[in-house]
Amino acid sequence: MQTTIIKPVLGVYTALFLLFLYGPFVVLGILSFQIGPNGGPQFPIIEWSTYWYQHVFGLTPPSRIAPLPIYEGLARSLTLAFMTMIVSTVLGVMSAQAFRTKFKGSDVVFYLIVLGMMVPGVLVGLGLALVANIIGIDRTWWSTAFVLHVVYTFPFAFLVMLAIFNRFDPSVEEAAWSLGVSPIKTFRKVTFPLIFPGVLSAMLFAFTLSYDEFSRTLFASGRDLTLPLAIYGTFSIEIHPNIFAFGVLTTLFSFALLAVYAILMTVSLRRAKRLAIQEDA
Amino acid sequence: MTIATPAPDSSDSTPVGLVARPSRAAYWLIAPGAIWMTLFLVVPLGMMVYVSFWSQTTFKIEPILTTKSWVAFFSSDTYLSALWTTIRIWLLVLLSTFVVGYPTALFVGLFVKNKTLATALLVLCVIPFWTSFLIRVLAWRPMLGKEGAINIILQAFHITREPIEALLFTELSVIIGMTQIYCVFMVGPIAFMLGRIDPNVIEAARDLGASFWRIFRTIILPLSMPGVIVGGIFVSVMVLGEFATAAALSGRKVNMLGNIIVTQVGSLKWAFAAVVGVILTILMGLVVAGFLRIVDLKREL
Repeated sequence: MQTTIIKPVLGVYTALFLLFLYGPFVVLGILSFQIGPNGGPQFPIIEWSTYWYQHVFGLTPPSRIAPLPIYEGLARSLTLAFMTMIVSTVLGVMSAQAFRTKFKGSDVVFYLIVLGMMVPGVLVGLGLALVANIIGIDRTWWSTAFVLHVVYTFPFAFLVMLAIFNRFDPSVEEAAWSLGVSPIKTFRKVTFPLIFPGVLSAMLFAFTLSYDEFSRTLFASGRDLTLPLAIYGTFSIEIHPNIFAFGVLTTLFSFALLAVYAILMTVSLRRAKRLAIQEDA
Repeated sequence: MTIATPAPDSSDSTPVGLVARPSRAAYWLIAPGAIWMTLFLVVPLGMMVYVSFWSQTTFKIEPILTTKSWVAFFSSDTYLSALWTTIRIWLLVLLSTFVVGYPTALFVGLFVKNKTLATALLVLCVIPFWTSFLIRVLAWRPMLGKEGAINIILQAFHITREPIEALLFTELSVIIGMTQIYCVFMVGPIAFMLGRIDPNVIEAARDLGASFWRIFRTIILPLSMPGVIVGGIFVSVMVLGEFATAAALSGRKVNMLGNIIVTQVGSLKWAFAAVVGVILTILMGLVVAGFLRIVDLKREL
């Protein structure tokens, strides 16, 4: 039987594939424990140390290697991601709610929204920079870059919410309406608690995509750099293991975010389930 | 979705308020999002097309219409070679993401019968996306460098005697990096399509004595085509719009159209950057339209 050979071969291949996906990151993680300040960003590890982690936090004595210029960028990126998350999620929920009914031009609007995640950052970034330039407004991270972040993340929030509404049972809303509850109150008291797990996913998408956004921000933000721009700036000069240490730390941050999401998700799913049971009773 | 069916036109004449309410509200709900996308996505892209015909002086652009920037693009070897580089890298990365990703998708989508294990494997593929894009790009430097991990391993196993210098700061490193970053977008859609194949079809073919290769060619591959197309569109759009990976892994030697835009904007050559932007848009439009011609996605999905 041929398939008896093919399956293990493909299994081994998949393991190698995962090695290909994770390899670079493992190497980066190992090298972040290189001795400093004289150890370079390559093998062999001269001596294991946490020097470069201390360096990221500014805990090492001054050396010829400048600290990473990340702190202001970090604050800006977090603020920007938070703003983007709120606006994208609100727009996403509103638009998906609108798509529950068929309206004229819904096809066009659908493609208009989805276009936002498809058009590469270079193009929208350039376009918005041109617009800002011509009407004479300054490009900053909280204005021009912010609107582009929403253009990018709103489609994700919209699609997540669309999927949620697709599986949503409208009979609970109908029940509320037929009892004379206003649509707004119905949304707040009935619909929203039921779709909340979806809202959380939309928020997670929007936050992480915005936090890591690079190409749009490059064109649309002015002199004040966000975190990814600050990181990109260090690429052109000689790299040191401190940027590897930073990479490990920022990954841990992302995982922490994912953990918070998982916890909130479990809680809200449990609540939605309880609510659904109440409705049934 | 039962109450959502009536046509919006008739909503005013419908006697029951319950039905009319949602469809009129739909316009109010969709308006903010639609306006946002029009102002900040459609207008900028339109402006890019418009500005590509403006006159460029040393640091300024003026709304005097001219095709000078267009002529400059098509008469310059540097820019034409950037166009060619973009197309070449796109094709190579498309091919390599397909070749590298397909066997994994085949394993996850078709051979792993346990749904939990299949999901776990897909999640494992997605986890690297939780790290910053730039860090993922950067992680290839200590892998590919002259004293990098790959060269150390190759020499340790006596496969090569000298370190291979061509691994980093070449077009090859750009392609390796992009393959790793984007191949998951190929694996996901293909695995999804493969998972929907009715196992009875394959069983029947096997009972009739078809070899695995024949089953693959006549059943598995055609049925997974929509996944390949969706993955291909994802990868193409992202690779064509790339510049950061090319800059960081080639030491700014490999210039794609995206890199040209970045440098032109840096030197305030707005009209020229707009020309490159429009060319990139057209290229992308052609590629996506080409993909959609191969498979009718609306029918297949």
